[in-house]
Amino acid sequence: MGENRDIYKALVSLKEKEVKSLVSQKIEEGMPVDDIMDQLQEALIEIGNRFEKEEYFIPDLIYSGAIMKDAVALLGPLSDDKSRSSKGKVVVGTVFGDVHDIGKGLLVMILSNAGFEVIDLGVSVEPKKFVDAIKESGAKVVGMSCLLTISFGAIIDTVNAIKEAGIRENVAIMVGGAPVTDLVAEKTGCDYYGKDAFSGVKFASDVYAK
Amino acid sequence: MAEDMENLYQERLKRYTTAMRNEKPDRVPIRIFAAEFAAKYAGYTSQEVTHEYDKAFEAVRRCAKDFSWDATVINMVYVWSGLVDHFGQKYYKVPGIELPPDVGFQYFEPADEEGAFMKEDEYDALIDSPTEYLANIWMPRISRNLVPIGTPNTFRNNMAWLKGGISMMAYFGACGEAVARLKSECGTVSAIAGIIKAPFDILSDKLRGFRQVSIDVYRQPDKVEKACEALMPYLLQNAMVTSDPTRKVPATVWLHRGTMFSKDMYERFFWPTLKEIILQLWKNGIQTLWYGEGSWSKWLKYTAELPEKSIVYHVDKEDIFEAHKQIGDKFAISGGIPNDLLAFGTPREVKEYCKKVIQTVGKDGGYIMDASAIIQSDAKAENMKAITEAVLEYGVY
Repeated sequence: MGENRDIYKALVSLKEKEVKSLVSQKIEEGMPVDDIMDQLQEALIEIGNRFEKEEYFIPDLIYSGAIMKDAVALLGPLSDDKSRSSKGKVVVGTVFGDVHDIGKGLLVMILSNAGFEVIDLGVSVEPKKFVDAIKESGAKVVGMSCLLTISFGAIIDTVNAIKEAGIRENVAIMVGGAPVTDLVAEKTGCDYYGKDAFSGVKFASDVYAK
Repeated sequence: MAEDMENLYQERLKRYTTAMRNEKPDRVPIRIFAAEFAAKYAGYTSQEVTHEYDKAFEAVRRCAKDFSWDATVINMVYVWSGLVDHFGQKYYKVPGIELPPDVGFQYFEPADEEGAFMKEDEYDALIDSPTEYLANIWMPRISRNLVPIGTPNTFRNNMAWLKGGISMMAYFGACGEAVARLKSECGTVSAIAGIIKAPFDILSDKLRGFRQVSIDVYRQPDKVEKACEALMPYLLQNAMVTSDPTRKVPATVWLHRGTMFSKDMYERFFWPTLKEIILQLWKNGIQTLWYGEGSWSKWLKYTAELPEKSIVYHVDKEDIFEAHKQIGDKFAISGGIPNDLLAFGTPREVKEYCKKVIQTVGKDGGYIMDASAIIQSDAKAENMKAITEAVLEYGVY
């Protein structure tokens, strides 16, 4: 790949115009779509690494997502040809009564970039919808987002609904969001508190690696 | 007002203001920001207190009496649905309308550029004349009932402005009465007066949306910076005219997005205009309550640039002991009792934690007891009682 890492470098440096012109140029030059996609995805992984090292921050993740979206649009239907192996399915949603979606949106984006198939249930998701989605998809991981302390009860309700449906043993439950802590995860009956989207990806990867 | 209630009030006011000036009062003051917790405690749903502000005021009075709070806010469920409804405001979701009756009102973040209340090419209009932009373009966009300038007027539009104005007068008039009743019936101080927002937060929360502004800081950074500068005098004026004329209780800055950015971005977009507002207020004798949501520890060195006593530093998710070590000699500190503990801990655990905070952060005065974040209905009443017990037991100097 040596000389052709320009797209990767441009995206890692968040150079929007450069990414766009390079992607167009490489398509013209006949670079395989798979190679372009690989570079873009590897760049997103590197951006994630830099986020964990506190060199990049949430706005940088959002901006990289926007650049990525435009780049993929340039590839158009070409990018659909590539069959990407799914690392597994993850059901994600903000708990019932809570309409915050920035954190949940980031988790969806980062999980998808990492190769997971994400079933995004949106915001204010009723416990039954989580249960139905887990059953239908057979996902082994569910991620709940919560931005208000008042929503702690909705986490408990969702976990209880999963238990009552008899599928608690089939699914690992992670929870995240500003007011969530290890104590909240423990007391609401979840398996894991993810402090950010990347810890969520690690948790999901561990579950599927077993 | 009964003499004993007046004496109680004066005693509490002195205790509270002394601690906020980073000095040692007779004991640690209890100043609680309780929203949906107060409603639940008084037997109301969130829906009821959001729609009927008299119930919200009454709920707070019940708590202030029962928990012996020195200071509190007359209504932390501050979005009264009447006002929101008359404009047909789109960005708040209200319990009982778009939300279940037992959750708090919430701000609804625009999902994308299409939904943004201010568009990416409207920075110049905002910078040229913030008032014109907000009244003529932004208001009609966030409202279902207002029509934009230049389009045919409607009856609904006229009534929305009229009823919105009347609602505002009604609500804020009632707030005045609620402050008086909190004093005369509970002997409790109305803890804050005056609203401050960081210019960048206004841009990010109410105008562009966080996702859009995150892209703007890359695509059009100069305009973001100029927009913050243009908004600054208006936000300062807003804080000035809503602050306490007796200069006793602080104006509050509710800080949102600053922790999410890099150092360079904080230095460029967030800090300069926020700092200027706080400095100007302090020049006018107005103290600021720094209410940073999340953890603001990484920006402590900037906060420390502010003049001694100009702020009360409220701690949400950061390490309160570390914050005290770093800036405790300059500013009083409030909060820091974890909300997860109030929801899931036992009274004994809460008491122990409060004791630790009182005996370290509050050792020499300059500490105001409160939870980390505004208290919603997840907190247990017995844990709220434990806070008061801890202060009475360990907080007397």
